Amino acid sequence: MNEQRRQILQMLADGRITADEAERLIDAVQREGTEPVAGGTARPKVRPRYLRVVVNANDLVEGPSRINVRVPLQLLRAGVRLASLVPPQALHQVNAELHRSGVPIDLTQLKPQQLEELIEHLDEISVDIDSVDGKVQVFCE
Amino acid sequence: MIPQLLTVRYRRAGGRLRRLYVPLLPVLLVLSPVLLLAVLGGLTACLIYGVRPVGALRGLGRLVWALPGTSFEIEQGPAAVLVSIR
Repeated sequence: MNEQRRQILQMLADGRITADEAERLIDAVQREGTEPVAGGTARPKVRPRYLRVVVNANDLVEGPSRINVRVPLQLLRAGVRLASLVPPQALHQVNAELHRSGVPIDLTQLKPQQLEELIEHLDEISVDIDSVDGKVQVFCE
Repeated sequence: MIPQLLTVRYRRAGGRLRRLYVPLLPVLLVLSPVLLLAVLGGLTACLIYGVRPVGALRGLGRLVWALPGTSFEIEQGPAAVLVSIR
């Protein structure tokens, strides 16, 4: 910053800028110095706590509608842990019903660790869908 | 943090917004005999279906503890429902 200030003063001494311009430049340099430097003294990344789902739709018949859901990520983690307690025979029955409904997902292959990882990386997700009829946003905050 | 207050706001078509505040701790205290029976029934079901009762209780506790901060807000035309847990 001292170097920048010296250059400004040198430009003023050379007559390339006026005193007012030099003052404005020095103010700008000082403001820049007080702001945190990106990557250097940046604050640690704050972990998001909530999963938000926002849906705005415009229905010509029923009018505008809005859905705003906020779920703590901790609740998702707790749900995943609770789901891991489901006995295997129940999972087989759920699998059979899913196959019958045309959803070929084998829930017995889902391990609690994988679900935990899924939740851990959910904070990076951001979905934006814009259409004429409405807008859907899924993000973490 | 244990959930303390359930807020329900609803507005019917053409009606005004109504608010309902439910303090959960007193309600849980009033319903504790029923809850005790429900827990006993749940534990019995766990034993029948081969689920670890301690794990189930712990998982349920975590689920309840993680509830504060949850909110659902649905608006459809003039009607609206908001459920919030604090």
